Parts: sequence; structure tokens; C-alpha cells
Amino acid sequence: MSDEEETPGNRLRKELPDERPAAPPAEEAAVPEAEPGLTGRQRLVQGLWPPRVTRAQLIVAVLLFGLGFGLAVQVASNSDSDSALRGARQEDLVRILDELDDRTQRLEDEKQGLEKQRDELENSSDQAEEARKQTVEKERQLGILAGTVAAQGPGITMTIEDTKGTVEADMLLDAIQELRAAGAEAIQVNGVRVVAGTYLTDSDKSVSVDGNKITAPYRFKVIGNPQDLEPALNIPGGVVQTLEKEQATVTVERSDKIVVDALRAAKRPDYARSSSQ
Amino acid sequence: MIAVLGLVVGVVAGLLVRPEVPAVVEPYLPIAVVAALDAVFGGLRAMLDGIFDDKVFVVSFLSNVVVAALIVFLGDKLGVGAQLSTGVVVVLGIRIFSNAAAIRRHVFRA
Repeated sequence: MSDEEETPGNRLRKELPDERPAAPPAEEAAVPEAEPGLTGRQRLVQGLWPPRVTRAQLIVAVLLFGLGFGLAVQVASNSDSDSALRGARQEDLVRILDELDDRTQRLEDEKQGLEKQRDELENSSDQAEEARKQTVEKERQLGILAGTVAAQGPGITMTIEDTKGTVEADMLLDAIQELRAAGAEAIQVNGVRVVAGTYLTDSDKSVSVDGNKITAPYRFKVIGNPQDLEPALNIPGGVVQTLEKEQATVTVERSDKIVVDALRAAKRPDYARSSSQ
Repeated sequence: MIAVLGLVVGVVAGLLVRPEVPAVVEPYLPIAVVAALDAVFGGLRAMLDGIFDDKVFVVSFLSNVVVAALIVFLGDKLGVGAQLSTGVVVVLGIRIFSNAAAIRRHVFRA
């Protein structure tokens, strides 16, 4: 690293710069280029003004241009946004890197958890849709059983002619129970839907079903498997034989299409409420 | 005067152009700048002393830069780059201070 001070004759000044003011004349005398009458300040002013285009000035200008350029570039690149990391020590950088890794890991875990949750929610909404469909289907099935919706399908028609007025409620109840036992799914008697809570009572010469008086002939429209229903009625000692013993005439017809369209209003229970369980 | 203009133009150009520093040069640029500053202060002091010589200035400027970069390069290769560049900056800083003191005596006579 040589510089101006290493020119011959100036070594002393380099090593003992503080002594310079003590012996300025001697030093200036030792310098051949020095203009004896001028002080440093005068030389500075002389160099600055007036501007002279000399070889020395141009060369120094070029070098100083390089210095200024490098200085500005370095300052600019140092004041970039990442200067916080640029000046950090290695241990700090390692720590920051570790922290970032941890953070990334945590966020990754969180992401996985959220994705899993999303999948579960999507599945459960699918399941809810399926459950809703099944509920609607079940509601229709239960509506048929409860008598709140009309039903149609294969089944039988049973007509009981009772000219003597000997048929009583318990006989009809036997018939209904026999039909139920044989798998009847929807029953109506003379326009009255028979459901689980149906009751039959005798009244004068006729029968009341759920309080609706019906008179002979009693026409049962039953939906179910005809191959099951008809033999169930006709078994020896069964409904048909019992009724015929009472002088009633019973005819049973199979049909591919029985329409049970007598409806019963859905009754809302006073106390019982549906439970989600 | 031309020299001062050169410095100013260099700073302005560096700020305006904002070139991307090549990765190879990047570690050496700050040290080179400090070394060049040292040479400039030495040159200024020589001028005030009336012993300025442009040839000496050019040689000292360039050799300062090259040697400083070389030391940092060597330090990097030896694995002591950070410490060595700190040392170079300290040495150059001391020299800049002593030169600045001499310049101060010339200009302010104090």
C-alpha cells in the first residue's frame, strides 16, 4: 500500500505525522516540487481555482470518478432492503434460518390440519345430503304407515257383505290384524285409513272405525303381497271361514293396482318431541 | 477542480446507474473503496504539502485497491476473510485519520 508519503525523502513524516508542525520549513525544503512561498491552504485554493486541464488533473479525475462510482454503488447495494441480513453475523443468520425453518414447519402443520378439516367438512356435507335424502325417503315410508300420504301398489280387495247384520267390530279387527300379520302395508276400510292407532267399536247395527260410522258392505283395500294376503285370509279357521260362519259373504280379489287414498291428518304429539338421538 | 468534478460525477453516475454488483467482485468492493479513500487522502495531503505527483498518485491508488482486494481474497481462501478485512479497514482507517490530521493542520493551521 504505497501512497504519496512513501516517496523518498518523506519517510520521517509518515512515521511521525504529529511532528510536522514543529518543522515545516525543513520539510518543504526537502520537497523539490514545493513552491516555497505558498502555504498548504494557498496551494489548495490554487488547485481548485481556476480549473486547469492538465494531465495530472485529468488522471486524478478519472481515478476519483472510479472511487465515487464504487462508493455510490456500494452504498446503494448496502442500503437495499436485505441490508438487515447483510450485516448480520453468522450465528445470527443460522438462528434466523432455524427460526424460519420452525415457522415453515408450523405453518405446514397448520396447513395440513386445515386441509384435513376441509376434507372432513366436505365429506360431512356430502353425508348430510345423503342423510337428508334418506330422511325424506323414510318420511314417505312412515307417511304410508301413518296414513298421511296416499299409497298405491299391488294388493287385494276384500268385500264383506253383511245382509244379516251379524258382523261385529271384533271380526273386522281380526281381519285387519290378519292382514297386518300377512304383511299388509296400507289398509283402508270404506274410505277410512287404518293405521296403528285405529280402533273399532260396535254401534247399533254397524261398526265405527276411529269414530267414523261405516256400514256394510265393508270394502277393504289392502296393499301388500297378494300371494301372502289372500292365503292368510283363506286359511282354514281363518277370517273368511269365521265370517262365513256368521252368514256373511266374503269375496277376495287380487289386483295389480290398489290405490289407498284415504288420508289421515298428521297429529302432532302434545308432549313427545323428536329427539336427535 | 477537474478532479473534484470527477468525484462528483462518479457518485452521481453510481447512484443513477445503480449497476448490479457482480457476485465475484462483491466482497472486495467495500475494501477497495476504503483503500482508494486512503490513497485520495494521501494525495490530498501531498498536494497541500506541495509534493503531489500524479504518477505516484496513480500508482498508489491502484496498488492500494489491488492489495486490499488481494488481502481480502487471501483471507477468504484461508477462512479468515472477515477478520482480515476488519484488520485492513482498521489500518486504512488509522492512515486516513493521520492524513486527515495533516490536512487539517494545513487548512486550519490547528
